[in-house]
Amino acid sequence: MGAGATCIRLEKNVDRIAARYGMHAEITIMPRHVHLSLWDTDSADCVTAIASVAKCPISFNVNTRLSELSWEIADGKTDFTQARAVLEGIDSFDRQSEWLLLCLVPAANAAFCGLFGGDAIAMFIVAIATLAGYYLKQSMLRRGIDLRVTVFACAFVSAVLGATDILFSFGDTPAVALGTSVLYLVPGIPFLNSFSDVLYRHYICALGRFADALVLTCCLSAGLCAAMLLMGTGMF
Amino acid sequence: MLLKILYDALLAAIAAIGFSAISRPPRRAYLYCAIIAAVGHSVRYMLMNMPEPVTIIPATLIASFLIGTLAVFLSPRAHMPAETCLFPALLPMIPGIYAYKAFGGLALCLLSESEAAFARAQYLFSYNALTCLCILVCMVVGATLPIFIFKKISFQATR
Repeated sequence: MGAGATCIRLEKNVDRIAARYGMHAEITIMPRHVHLSLWDTDSADCVTAIASVAKCPISFNVNTRLSELSWEIADGKTDFTQARAVLEGIDSFDRQSEWLLLCLVPAANAAFCGLFGGDAIAMFIVAIATLAGYYLKQSMLRRGIDLRVTVFACAFVSAVLGATDILFSFGDTPAVALGTSVLYLVPGIPFLNSFSDVLYRHYICALGRFADALVLTCCLSAGLCAAMLLMGTGMF
Repeated sequence: MLLKILYDALLAAIAAIGFSAISRPPRRAYLYCAIIAAVGHSVRYMLMNMPEPVTIIPATLIASFLIGTLAVFLSPRAHMPAETCLFPALLPMIPGIYAYKAFGGLALCLLSESEAAFARAQYLFSYNALTCLCILVCMVVGATLPIFIFKKISFQATR
């Protein structure tokens, strides 16, 4: 859940594991907690557990490995003890190389600038602005600073650097450079997850995820607006 | 036109690889994300730049459906859930600019000192917020529909 799985994926995985052990599972997914009730299909015995959602970064690698594990259990390829060992081996906090991210994310945001019609100079400025902002994001999160404060600060720094294209008239598309310099901070996966949850009628969880994504978008917009005011570029 | 489409596809592929890296996919997912994003985004670009152009919202719906279908059929080959290639491939189409322009419009509403300035800011907020919301809904509906239609394939990809 914390790693960014959709509610329908969670339900399917839990159901197939429970079915393997002759159980029936009912799962209630709330934004910060998960309730799981298990019934023995041969008797009326029922066990309910409530757990908090782990605060971990989004990781499709973790989602993929958990999904694989659920099928291995369902198909009888892994017994309970082995499954437990595999589960404990799946690190919710698996990290990408920070240096790799510092190369890929600026390149991606520069490409994004190109998609919005930015010229080569705008793309270069966006890459530099993203590099600085993303480095700051990594440093602040490593120090345990609140994500919302981090997003505000990173958006501010990236937008100030992005605004240099307007201030010094380097290229022909300065507005695109400024506008796209903060786009790497948009919480795309939580937005997509929330709408996906709506389609499967997990409204409460969807609302929670949407609110989280909206708050982060407001923080990045506030950082951008503050930078625009400081640099005197005018707002929109 | 062909060169512009290929350029759009290349940029979308780079954007998909970079943004997907933030959400830590398995290494084998990068290639699939790049291909799916390139196809999806270039189709949207083509639709929006035809002699009789399609507007961004229906173009996004069609492109997202294509992305979702590709993700569903490629995910068993990659041995990972469809969302692992699907969501990163959708990221280049996330309407981030509309989202923060909507917030900017809201901020300008509060800062405006005349009725005309308020009306302009309110228009900015309403237009961008509505467009952003419609694009997001179309993206998710378009991309999730193939998962819904081909349930068996998409939920057994990691088997």
